[in-house]
Amino acid sequence: MSAHAEAHGHAGEHHGPPTANRSSRIDATTLGMLLFIGSEAMLFGSFFAAYFFVRVVNPIAPAHWPPAPFHFPIFVAGVNTVILVTSSFTMHWALQSIKRGDRAGLKAGLVSTIALGLAFLLTQGIEYAHVGFNPGDGAFASAFFGLTGLHGAHVLIGLTLLTIAAVRAFRGHYTPEHHHGVELPGIYWHFVDVMWIVVYVTVYLL
Amino acid sequence: MTTAAQHEHDTPQAFEPFGPRARGFLLRAGWIRATWCTALFFLVGMFIVVGSRAIFDMHPVYNWTIITLTGALTMAPLGFLTGIGAFDYWFYWISGRPTREEDHSGHGAKAWPDYFRINTDHKVIGVQYTVTTFFFFVIGGLMAMLFRAELAQPGLQFFSSQTFNGLVSMHAVLMIFLFIIPAFAGLANFVVPLMLGAPDMAFPRLNALSFWLLPIAGVMFMSSFLAPGGPFAAGWTGYAPLSVDSPVGSMFFNMGVQWAGASSILTALNFLVTIITMRAPGMTFWRMPLLVWANFTTSLLVVIATPFIAGSQFFVMFDRVLHTSFFVPAHGGYVLGYQHIFWFYSHPAVYIMMLPGFGIVSEVVSTMSRKPIFGYRLMALSFIGILILGFSVWAHHMFVAGMADWLRVPMMISTLLIAVPTGIKVFSWLATLWEGKIRLTTPMLWALGFISMFVIGGLSGIFLGSVPIDIHASDTYFIVAHIHYVLFGGSVFTIFAGVYYWFPKVTGRMYNERLGQLHFWLTFVSFNVTFFPMHYIGLRGMPRRVFDYSNQFGSLNMIISVASFVLGVSTVIFFYNMITSWTRGPIASSNPWGAHTLEWQVSSPPPIFNFDEIPVVVGGPYEYGVPGARHAILHSAPAAEEVHA
Repeated sequence: MSAHAEAHGHAGEHHGPPTANRSSRIDATTLGMLLFIGSEAMLFGSFFAAYFFVRVVNPIAPAHWPPAPFHFPIFVAGVNTVILVTSSFTMHWALQSIKRGDRAGLKAGLVSTIALGLAFLLTQGIEYAHVGFNPGDGAFASAFFGLTGLHGAHVLIGLTLLTIAAVRAFRGHYTPEHHHGVELPGIYWHFVDVMWIVVYVTVYLL
Repeated sequence: MTTAAQHEHDTPQAFEPFGPRARGFLLRAGWIRATWCTALFFLVGMFIVVGSRAIFDMHPVYNWTIITLTGALTMAPLGFLTGIGAFDYWFYWISGRPTREEDHSGHGAKAWPDYFRINTDHKVIGVQYTVTTFFFFVIGGLMAMLFRAELAQPGLQFFSSQTFNGLVSMHAVLMIFLFIIPAFAGLANFVVPLMLGAPDMAFPRLNALSFWLLPIAGVMFMSSFLAPGGPFAAGWTGYAPLSVDSPVGSMFFNMGVQWAGASSILTALNFLVTIITMRAPGMTFWRMPLLVWANFTTSLLVVIATPFIAGSQFFVMFDRVLHTSFFVPAHGGYVLGYQHIFWFYSHPAVYIMMLPGFGIVSEVVSTMSRKPIFGYRLMALSFIGILILGFSVWAHHMFVAGMADWLRVPMMISTLLIAVPTGIKVFSWLATLWEGKIRLTTPMLWALGFISMFVIGGLSGIFLGSVPIDIHASDTYFIVAHIHYVLFGGSVFTIFAGVYYWFPKVTGRMYNERLGQLHFWLTFVSFNVTFFPMHYIGLRGMPRRVFDYSNQFGSLNMIISVASFVLGVSTVIFFYNMITSWTRGPIASSNPWGAHTLEWQVSSPPPIFNFDEIPVVVGGPYEYGVPGARHAILHSAPAAEEVHA
């Protein structure tokens, strides 16, 4: 962001840009992340649309969801929901810690969030292996694997961002004043968490 | 998303050299590293496929089609981006190395090779965008001339039917995804930060990445000609289940759209953040030039709608690769779902391809008539109106597709409602022209040509928006005529208007006015001779997307084909004019049109960081002829513009 011009005091080296005017109270990177999340939400929207077409609009939609011989593992996915919701709290803990200047809390919060995220993915992998059907078993399976798979991919992206934040945290970055690198992955992680609750309710429970 | 998180403050190490490390020619960011990284990532992609096929016991382990496609369509582009240096800064940042967020080592262009590198200067990126898109414009145009040659007479003369379908599909895809949409992004990239009084875009490195995603998509689309079974040939709409069952060439379309879509989402995000957070002091929303308003609304459309085309192409790929059945009725899939999801992007995409043009024309018309734009606020609000209404009309593409009957009338009504905000714009332009001191320069000719052609396209749109006429005219050449009146007579004319209008600003030289006018008139006439008869042959029943047709349409099709070749030749004049003027044209003054917006208040071409000091905006952007009115105060610039006021 060109918003902060030469703050480091070597103006003699080259003529830097003028400091851009800040015309909004919202920070540019936060706004960028929020817009990106908006776009991601619409990608989920397209997958929900496909699910809606298969399950509701389709004149030959199955009367039961999922169709007769198959079951969704509601309990296992429920446990997974608890795992992911918990990880949102540990994420919040990490962020609050660095705001207070508590570096140990930041590291512990990030590491436990990553661990919970990995546990979620592992559980989902095991669930896929034992769910009793595969993507080729009809449109209900397409919708199921589509939505849960898309969400799993987003957990992976979130974990990547958190890992980057953790690497930098362990290398001594972030201060109570400057912690965007924790805050933004945190916003994304909460989005992934909320999306999972929507996916869980629509796909498994409804 | 590392991209948005890039601006973390680092532990200050003020006297470290933060720029890229000095490296040997193999490791230096650039084309050599891009070449070997592309190859390396291609092999890694192949390895991942072979490895996972072996782990999951799939036979045969070495399915060369799948292996090559995965390597080429997913991993190789990432390798290219890594090699060219799009991620370098972020890699440093991720690894915790000291980085300086104000790193200008890749900023600005001193000589032409700088245009072939990763560059963080929005002006360089704007030029990169525009030149790249015109390259694809030429290719797409040549393809159109090829299949117009085929269509000059009934019967099959030059191509196989599959090649013909491929040429038609490729023409549309290149023109839409590689020309119109990114050409507007390119012009706006150059102009919007200047207009706002900002030194650059909000995220310069993301901006560079957005650009380099674009040639990847273009190369991917075109290389589908090399795929076994030929290029994708299901039309640019790629309707399922046809696109699921067609040869693997259509995978190039599925994936190319993802790369092009990522490019436009990231650019749009960048525009939105720039417009919201980096306006100069005094630049309220109601003082922004209409081009900025246009790009603001367009970017919102892109961010909200583009994921839907990504989704639709993912489903098609899943149906092909993972054997899901999103669109396979035999397994409970819902075929029409594809069209709903596709058009939920692709109808707003029509406005993505039109609103920036509205912005350009507003600039040109007001400046060249020496009058304030008529109804500025309503012009801005009608952008918002189109933005909202644009999301409620997608199913008018599906009146004959067999969708639910009750959807037809609401979609018809919302479609016809869009004529209201669009009509506001057209009448505002006309009222701006009214009793103005009109200067018929080349950009103004294109703007006037746009207004007249777009009205014709809009009127045929009202025909097509009405269910009864659409049922008759669906899938005929009437549709082809309509789409070309709005996308060629509409969007492309505005792109030409913009290119001529800002040419002196971008290059610092003036184009040849006589050649520009010749280009306009030749294009204008041949465009109408090419596309106007299509209304007639369409209503007479000639279907679109066919290589053979009834003999009764023979003579008209011959006229259309000849005119389309003249249209192609007219573009040669344009390129000749651009290239010679750029190299040897007369030096342009900083403000040849006497415009008030900020980009004209700096030198031509603008200084590397746009402004020495951020200007202060004190009034509206179009106060031509208003005594004492000023748009902005630049402290260090000579105040020479009152002459034109």
